[in-house]
Amino acid sequence: MSAVSPWRGELRAQAALFVRAARTNFAYKPAMLLGMATVGLGYAVPMLVWKQIYAQPRVHLPVPASQLFPYLLLAAALNFCSSMGVEWRVGQRIRLGLIATDLLRPVDFQLTQLAQALADVWLNTVMVLPFVGLSYLLWGRAALPHDAVAFAGFCASSLLALLIQFAVAFIFVQTAFITLSNYGIFVARAALQLTFSGVSAPLALFPPLLRGVAQRLPFCHTIYTPVSIYLGSISGRALVEALAIQAAWALGLLVLGRALLRLSLRYLDIQGG
Amino acid sequence: MARENWRIYLQAYTASLQAKLEYRVDFLVSVATSMMMQAAALSLLWIVLGAVPMLAGWSPPQVLFLFGMTAICLGGSELFFNQIWTLPQAIVMGDLDRLLTYPVRALPFYLVTRPELHAFGNLLTGAAYVVGSLCWLHAAWYVWLGVPLFWLCGMLTYTSVLVWFASLSFRFIGPQLSSMMIGHNLLQATRYPLSTYPRFVRAVLLFIFPFGTFHYLPASVLFGKGAPLVALAAAPVATIVCLLLAQKAWDRGLKRYESTGS
Repeated sequence: MSAVSPWRGELRAQAALFVRAARTNFAYKPAMLLGMATVGLGYAVPMLVWKQIYAQPRVHLPVPASQLFPYLLLAAALNFCSSMGVEWRVGQRIRLGLIATDLLRPVDFQLTQLAQALADVWLNTVMVLPFVGLSYLLWGRAALPHDAVAFAGFCASSLLALLIQFAVAFIFVQTAFITLSNYGIFVARAALQLTFSGVSAPLALFPPLLRGVAQRLPFCHTIYTPVSIYLGSISGRALVEALAIQAAWALGLLVLGRALLRLSLRYLDIQGG
Repeated sequence: MARENWRIYLQAYTASLQAKLEYRVDFLVSVATSMMMQAAALSLLWIVLGAVPMLAGWSPPQVLFLFGMTAICLGGSELFFNQIWTLPQAIVMGDLDRLLTYPVRALPFYLVTRPELHAFGNLLTGAAYVVGSLCWLHAAWYVWLGVPLFWLCGMLTYTSVLVWFASLSFRFIGPQLSSMMIGHNLLQATRYPLSTYPRFVRAVLLFIFPFGTFHYLPASVLFGKGAPLVALAAAPVATIVCLLLAQKAWDRGLKRYESTGS
């Protein structure tokens, strides 16, 4: 029997977990379809509001309608793709004390959660593809990537955006060590994401005060940055800088999440019985 | 008997609320975060009204009134009838068995036995928006008087629609909440004036899921948007119809309930 390197073993375990989690997600098909309808409805509202605004006479906004609507649809698609059940899953395990078993397993806890989160992303991506297809039907070229570089940049940026989303959720879920309900954790992150990510409008349309705050937080790098790269609004040197900033946020937040978990575990009580 | 039932609902509700309030950190976190969520929703309005002075002919305080009414109806439903959100799970787990043996009507008893603490955040924020908008608009006294009635109607209409969707769980068994989120998202859509939306969406929000009746229609009358006075009656009528349909949906669903084996 050949010895397997610890890294390879870890990777294999995480890959197996990803496949299992993805299969579980796809098992509930009616829920999946209803979920699609619900999500479509949720994202349609800001679009209809903006449609009404752009239909008004003498409206001159910094973003033309031909750019705004593809932006909104892609932002909604990306936001949905990157929604993960991290708070719910980890929060539940902390609450039930199952985290003790997880921590005894010979795999990294944060990476395990990341593998499961990526399975969520996989399911969401499949669900969102029809909507992205719809954007091409509605807006044609305007919904296509600006050029090949923009598309490559978008892929890299989306990956970093996923890591940031996961890392933020992992930090927020540490609150589950002191609360009974996961609701607050989920809602707090969702509220910040909704306000500062640029999912309802590109940052150029934000009032200056809100834009200033948004640019200093990681949330805009989960939606605004990748979508702007895709549409060519961020290109050249700015693209490289944007990717570097995203990578720095992802790394910093992942490390912070690990440190917080270590700290939280010191105060963890698990009931026996 | 009916009086006795009310006493039991009240006792069950009070006991559940007391149990929830035991968790003080949860209470504070829930209230703070639900207020954050309402503020987040308002951020889009801030962005929108920064771009144009009016939204479909509605001024900022008028839209703020719609936001506030939506928030207090949501908060009221969460505070008094939140247990409906757990129905899909309860069906899967067979948890309704015990409920069905109680000598009270199952639906109201089920609804009132799990208040949610984040409701206070939605109620507080919504009330602040409503009071702020009415002061801003220098609203007449009768507008202030109408608000509690429309709040009650909105809360009951929203809860009824949730019961319709939740009752689907008796048929499509699974621990999913997606169907109820449709009701929730439709309510949230009415934070903006319905005149913002295409005619089809407007019709859905007035006649099928009548969330537009408890704030948009009254506001259209009271803020002089040209709606006839009779539109004020739409909210109580829609509430009664929705409540009756909710009871019907629950009864039909319950006939399918099979509990679980072990």
